[in-house]
This record gives sequence, structure tokens and C-alpha cells, in this order.
Amino acid sequence: MAKIAIIDDDPDILDASSLVLTSKGYEVVTATNPDDGYKIVKENSPDLIILDVMMNEPDDGFFLAQKFRKEKISSPIIMYTSVSKSLGMDFGVNELVPVDEFVEKPISPEQLIEKVEKLLHAKGGV
Amino acid sequence: MENGHCPKILIVDDEKGLRIGTKRLLEGEGYSVETAENGYDGIKLGTTTEFDLAIIDLKMPDIDGIQVMKEILKVYPDSVCLIATGYASYETAIEAIKFGAFSYIPKPFTPEELFQKLSQGYSRRELILEKKKWKQEREERLLEVAFEKSRLNTIINSITDGLLVVNKNGEAVLYNPSALKYLSFDQIKIEEYIIDKLHPQIAELINKFLSSQKCEQKSFSSEVELKPNREFYVEATSSPVANPDGTLAGVVVVMKDITELKKIEFLKSQFVSMVSHELKAPIAAVYGYLKLFSDTSIHLSEEQKLNYLNRSQIRLDGLLKMVNDLLDISRMELKTVNKEIKEIDLHVIIKAIIELFQIEIKKKNISVNVKSSEMLPCLHADQDEISRLFTNLISNAIKYNKTNGSIDIIISSSGNYIILEVKDTGIGLKPAEKTKLFQEFFRAKNEKTKDISGTGLGLSIVKRIVDSYSGKLAVESEFNIGTSFKIFLPLRNGINNKEQKAGN
Repeated sequence: MAKIAIIDDDPDILDASSLVLTSKGYEVVTATNPDDGYKIVKENSPDLIILDVMMNEPDDGFFLAQKFRKEKISSPIIMYTSVSKSLGMDFGVNELVPVDEFVEKPISPEQLIEKVEKLLHAKGGV
Repeated sequence: MENGHCPKILIVDDEKGLRIGTKRLLEGEGYSVETAENGYDGIKLGTTTEFDLAIIDLKMPDIDGIQVMKEILKVYPDSVCLIATGYASYETAIEAIKFGAFSYIPKPFTPEELFQKLSQGYSRRELILEKKKWKQEREERLLEVAFEKSRLNTIINSITDGLLVVNKNGEAVLYNPSALKYLSFDQIKIEEYIIDKLHPQIAELINKFLSSQKCEQKSFSSEVELKPNREFYVEATSSPVANPDGTLAGVVVVMKDITELKKIEFLKSQFVSMVSHELKAPIAAVYGYLKLFSDTSIHLSEEQKLNYLNRSQIRLDGLLKMVNDLLDISRMELKTVNKEIKEIDLHVIIKAIIELFQIEIKKKNISVNVKSSEMLPCLHADQDEISRLFTNLISNAIKYNKTNGSIDIIISSSGNYIILEVKDTGIGLKPAEKTKLFQEFFRAKNEKTKDISGTGLGLSIVKRIVDSYSGKLAVESEFNIGTSFKIFLPLRNGINNKEQKAGN
């Protein structure tokens, strides 16, 4: 089954999300800050990455996503957001948004699974 | 005389008969007359009082009449002088007039001849005086205008708002030093087209009027970022300037520095984002756990269930605290705090707070010591506020403390103040952090605060409370060693003294 990395500074969200995904058979690796998040992605090459938008600083998630894209990590990225999607995005007009899907907190597990499956299917892997 | 003014005449003549006779004649006609019987007396009189007219005899034993006239004219150049003499001659007449005489009257003269000369002389006098008056008024008016203009200039140059006025062709006609500064110009050339040199937003504000050339009483405003990254913001307002006939004379632009306002706006919207995030996080966490419970496909062990229930509760407690913090802040901002002042027992309050934080204290193995002086005066204050104050300080002392660290709470008094101190062995503050410590939303962010959460409101609430009692706050801190917060609260005289005496 596919491997998913979850990067979120909220341990409760991390636990709950992990449980939801593992119960569906996915393999989950987690991290609670951008630096550790970068490490686990590099080490584990997950098929999908779930990122929280704000960890230590606002937009931490976006910058991490940008970094992944710059390093040619093409795994689909889902972003957890607790504020409206458009706030905090400071990208130039020509820059591609590095995130594939948004999920607004509080997270509905059904929605999360649906988006995970959609992105993994599109990628072509399982 | 015609206008009610009584002309003053001086007669200087050594002939007594002529003097008395002429005097009587002239006084009969309403003139005011004074006489001098010789040249020197004539000079004395004529130079101490201003006469409208003077009739001076040419040949006098002591001094020449023309000399007398010269002396009088030196002091009162506007006096009209007539030279009278029996020695009628062409040369004499010319000489007299050359030296300033208005006219020459040959002796003997008939009353008619005299009156005619006097009348001419007096008309001349009136003309001179009127001319003098107008000249004086004109000078005063010019002075007034110059003063007003320079006063206006001073005012315009003193106002901190930037002022720029252009005419209907877009040429600069007036500006002040602030405008130069705001627009970052070294100079503005008067009567030079300036629109294309201006920031496009400001040019647009002006062109709204220039393009239509209409002078409707309307103004347009824009917030213009003159320096990027919110470094300098102005609110520019353009208004039309009308000619007396209602056509457009030009446009005046006023630029007001709103950089501070924008900073505050930004902080507030940042705060709203942050609050929104902080409020949603615990809700999302609890929601997440609840969903696990209700998902039939997920099997949870009893241990897991208990764990998740417990953590849900902890998150909700945190949420409640956050909401209370926010309510406190907004209450204080609205100044609707109704203090219930009564005698409070600090020990009870502190003990209760330490109980509340038992879990966190045990987790980090912090030792808490409460010390208080023996003869403590009673503190009269609002219980909730003092409780909140200690809660916030003690919470910080725990949050930022090291494992196995300690917290000292010391209550003492000095003079008219009661001193409350909360000392910790925590990570301390860097000097830059100390200055911003009590600012709303400020949270120290360095390598050591990574895992510490909070709203950044705790200390600003503490400061508000202390301020509301006219107290004083002092912070001492050393990075990596610890921090001490000292609060000085003034005691209320009279009541406290009474209590102390009763206590004795």
C-alpha cells in the first residue's frame, strides 16, 4: 500500500490523521516541524505528502511545499489549512502553486480519504 | 470753515498793528491764530506746534523771514507758508518759493487778498495731508498683506501633512517641505509640469479633475504605498480649487502619513489570522478524535479511547483559556471593567493557582516556593484581576522554565506599595525581547521557545491590570538564567492603616 507522510505541529491532529489512514491500510510516517518533515520525506520518498499550512510561522507549509517542488519531489501534496486558502499566499503570478489539494480543518476523515485516493489514483500508483 | 476743522495760523511780523489787526480779522472768520513779534519767537512757535498755515514777514530786524520759514519747514515740512513783505520784487518772490514758500503775499494786503491766499494755501494743505494719509494706509495695508502672506507660508510650511497644489495644466504652483519629503523629490520647480513625475496613484487623483476640467465640490482619496513593504504609507486626498467664476483653477493634494495606522491594521489582521488558527486548532483536534470514535471501521483499544478523551479535554481547556484571554482584552479595551474592590488574601489566590497548574508543574518537576513578609498590609483590589494577574505570570513561569527548575513567589511591601514578585529559572529574555514584552501578541521566538504555545496576550493583560491600579511593572531577566517580574501596587491609605492597627 502507498506510503504517506504527515507533517503537522499539532500532535493530536497527527495522531488522529495517522489512525484514519493506517486503518485504511496506508503506511504513515510523521513529523512535527518543517525540518523533520523535510528529513522524513527525503528518507522515505512517500507517495503522498500531507502538510499543515502553519507550524512555527505562518506559511511554513507553503515554503516547505515549494522546497519539495524545487527539489523535483513530485509526490502529490495535500495541505491542511485552518484559515481560508487564499490568506497568506504570497506567490508571484507566474509561480505555480506547489500544493495539489486543500483540506480545511477540522478535517473530515471521509474527505481526507477521498482526496488521498483521488491524488494517488491520478499519480498512477497504489 | 467748511469741514469743521479750525485751521491754525501763525503770523510772524514785527509790525504790531498788522499782527493784531490780521489776528482779529482771521479769528473773526473762524481761524485759530497765534502771533510772534520777531523771527526767533516765530521759529520757536512754528517748530513746537504744527500750524496749517504761516504768514511770515520777510524783513524782520532779528532774522530773515525766509530763514524763519526754513526752520519751521525743517520740523513741519507740511506747513503751508506764505511770505509777506512790503518790498515787493520779482526776485524776492522767486527766492521765497524756491525755499519752500507756497506763495508770496505783498503788503499791504486787503482782507480779500489775504483770504484768497489763505484759502488756496489751505486747500494745498488739505491735499498734502490727504496724500500723507493715503500713503500711510497703503503702507500699512502692504505690511498687513506681507505679514499675512508670510504667516500663511509659515503655517503651510509647518504642517506635517504634505501639500501640493497644481494649476489646471498640471504645473506645480505651491508645495511645502513635507510634500518634498513624502514624494522623495530634491526639488519641485514651480510652473513645471509635474504630473508625470508623481506616483501613478497620486497622478490619477489629480487627473480626475484635470481631465474633466470641472470644479465639482468633491474629493478623492487613496491609500498610497510610497515606499515598498509598508515602510511609508500616505492617505492622499485631492480636491478641486475654484476660480471666483466657478471654473477649475487647479487641484490641491494633501498627503497624510498613515504608516503607523497601516502597521496597526496589519498587526490586527495578523492577530485575527493567528487567533482564528489558534481557536480552530483545538476544535479540529477534538473533532478529529470524536470522528475516530464514531468511525465503525476503526477499532480503538480502551487505552486509546481513554487517551483520546483525555487529550480532547486538555485541548478544550486550552481553548477556553484562549477565549477568556480574548474576552479579558476586549473588556479592558472597552473600559467596561467594573472592579469589585475588597480585601483579598493573596495566599489563598496563589495557592489555588498553583493547584490548577499541578500537572504542568509535576511534568517539569518544578519546585514552587511562596514567601511573604510578616507584617503585610492588606491589599484591596478586584479578586478576579489579581487572580488573573498571578495566573498569567505563574503560567509563563512554568511554561518557560527549565526541567527541575524553580519558581519563587515573593510578597513584600515597601512604603506605600505592596510588591508582588514572580521569579523563575527559565530560559530568560534577550534584551530586544524585553522591550517588546508587554506588547499585544508579542511572543519571544528563539531557539528555546519552539515548543511553547500561547497567544502572546498574557503579559499585555498583566500590564493592563497593573496600569488600572496605577501600579508599576518591572522586569529583570538574563537569557538562559531566569526572569523576575515585580509588580508594585499602591496601597489605599486610610483603610489599610486602620486594618494594620486592628491587626496589632
